[in-house]
Amino acid sequence: MSKLNSQQLVYVIDDDEAVRDSMGMLLESADLAYRCFSSADSFFAAHDGSQRGCLVLDIRMPGMTGLELQQKLAQIGSSLPIIFITGHGDVPMAVEAMRQGALDFLRKPVNEENFLERIMHALDLESGNWHQKLDRDQAQQRVESLTERERQVFLLVAQGLANKAVASQLGISERTVEVHRAQVMKKLDARTLAQLVRIHLQSE
Amino acid sequence: MAKISQPPMSGQLVDQLTSQASDQLSGPPTGGDDARLETLLKNLPGMAYRCLNLKHWPMDFVSDGCFELCGYHRHEIESQQVLWGDFTHPDMIDEVDRKVRNATESGQPFEVEYRIIARNGQEKWVWERGRAVDRRSDGVVILEGLITDITDRKLTEAALVGAEAYAQAIVESALDAVISIDNGGAIESFNQAASSMFGYRSDEIRGQHCRSLAATSFYREFDRYFQRSQTPAKGFPGARANSLELNGCDKYDNEFPIVLSMREILDVGEKKYVILIRDLTEQRRTEKEVREQRDMLAHVDRLNTLGEMAAGIAHEINQPLTAISMYAQSGLRFLRRQNPQLQRLEDALEKLSQQAHRAGAVIERMQEMTRPHQSHQEVVAAEQLLREVHELAEVDAQIRNFIIVLRLDDELPSVNCDPVQIQQVILNLLRNGMESMRANHCKPGSKIILQARTSATQVRISIIDDGLGVSRKLEKKLYQPFATTKASGMGLGLSISRSIISAHGGQIEFSNNKARGATFSFGLTRHSD
Repeated sequence: MSKLNSQQLVYVIDDDEAVRDSMGMLLESADLAYRCFSSADSFFAAHDGSQRGCLVLDIRMPGMTGLELQQKLAQIGSSLPIIFITGHGDVPMAVEAMRQGALDFLRKPVNEENFLERIMHALDLESGNWHQKLDRDQAQQRVESLTERERQVFLLVAQGLANKAVASQLGISERTVEVHRAQVMKKLDARTLAQLVRIHLQSE
Repeated sequence: MAKISQPPMSGQLVDQLTSQASDQLSGPPTGGDDARLETLLKNLPGMAYRCLNLKHWPMDFVSDGCFELCGYHRHEIESQQVLWGDFTHPDMIDEVDRKVRNATESGQPFEVEYRIIARNGQEKWVWERGRAVDRRSDGVVILEGLITDITDRKLTEAALVGAEAYAQAIVESALDAVISIDNGGAIESFNQAASSMFGYRSDEIRGQHCRSLAATSFYREFDRYFQRSQTPAKGFPGARANSLELNGCDKYDNEFPIVLSMREILDVGEKKYVILIRDLTEQRRTEKEVREQRDMLAHVDRLNTLGEMAAGIAHEINQPLTAISMYAQSGLRFLRRQNPQLQRLEDALEKLSQQAHRAGAVIERMQEMTRPHQSHQEVVAAEQLLREVHELAEVDAQIRNFIIVLRLDDELPSVNCDPVQIQQVILNLLRNGMESMRANHCKPGSKIILQARTSATQVRISIIDDGLGVSRKLEKKLYQPFATTKASGMGLGLSISRSIISAHGGQIEFSNNKARGATFSFGLTRHSD
């Protein structure tokens, strides 16, 4: 709960109004923000990549099915965790959904405690993913701010080469390497070699 | 005049002719009278004669008619080369002889009918009338008379007797009761079948009014029918009236179903009628058995259908159950908060209750289909009937990802039908249609149409699918029980549907659509109020 982000929403997608509405009420009772969609199509139409949170997705719906939505979201690089809600005879479909990277599936009628637990887990996961992504984005941005020569020095230093070895590889003086290195540490906001190495890994 | 002649008996042409003819024997005809006599004799239907009453009756005079009668010429007979007794049928000669003798001994004329065998071997019936006219000196009686061919009359008589016996035999051996009555309705004859049907002997019932064969509760209907039958429509005497179904009543007050029809007997004199009555007990029992069997098979089919729909039904019940469970859990959470949110709790409970009813309604619909059911017709609102079966079939459509489109005329009238069985038929046809659409690889979201159109007498219900259509090969097996194209399924659906619709007085028709798929349809009779 600690990491719960106020921007996160639970997206409930189910064609049955009562199921949708009751799920919404349950989320409300657990103080979770949510938004309902009555079809996979309408969610996909509203999706623009900025959505945070997780999906609770009915696997069997008229029009675009839950599985189809999962595939489409994967194609455009969405990393929203998906919890599938399945009916009685839908286990083969659920297995397929898991294979395609679904976080979990729950059978109707669902156990509410379990349901909320899975949702919290999904939101945590998404939150972690999001922060990781955020760090990665920042690291990339900083690396991009380096000059060509600085970037060369950065890559070699991050691989663990000493200044002398860097100087000899790049055909410049050791002194010049020292100047570039200081500049790199400053631009990447790194105080130790270890931090420099992590930024390198994140930016890859 | 001839010496043996007798004065003609007044008014007896035959006697006169024979006596005149006998005159001719004694000499050639002279003058106008004799010529006229000759002409008369020639035109006589038969043969006049004079003979001796000896064995085989030797004749000394015959008229020209002899040739036509027996094939011998006058001179052959008169010269007694052949005797009359030679022609007379040997079986009958003694009887003829006895009758002639008896009459002549008492001085009376005689009249006999017997058979002769003509020259060509042909047998003929003849009628003879004659009398003794004189006696020869040796005491031998002289006879004169006329013999006429009556073969035609005899044949006609025989035919008539035969026809009557034939008719009588038919009436007596008929399986139906055959009763004849007079103009007032009194029973005149009562055949064997009528006796065993009603328990009365023919002499017991004769003279009673035919109404007494009907159950008292049907007297009025019977009388009305009786009157109507006595005044046939359009002035055709003997025109057949429609039959009447009612309960009959036997001697021991047992009631049983009968059908009767009455018609006038074309006869001279007073009007008479014949009533035919058939006992329907057996027929009714068979009908009942057939109906019960159909009901039972229909029940099996419904159970089977619901079995096949199990996944859809489970889904349909799971939805409200899921909602109920979540509303209940939400309500608890609202209640257990530090500041309980009673308003939200109330909302949750209200919605929970609605969902419980929804689940109940699903089960109710299923139960209607699974209950054993005795077919009976009632007045049903067509629209409600169709909306209900649409909901039921939706369960199946959702699983298959097809859409059932209801296309109903505005203000559908009421119809006469057995709603459970008609819904079963529609469900069968819709499911068949969707099955065919799946086999035809129709896309998810494809439509099947359930249509109802009103006409003057009917509501016509059509199921229009997008499937494979009905091939010629399939057409032959379409209604065959246990013939199926489905991997699972008993193949009972269509054959039962057909028997249900035919019990409703209609038939299932089908045609292939222009583009693709097939249309199955049937009519339900509008209720007229």
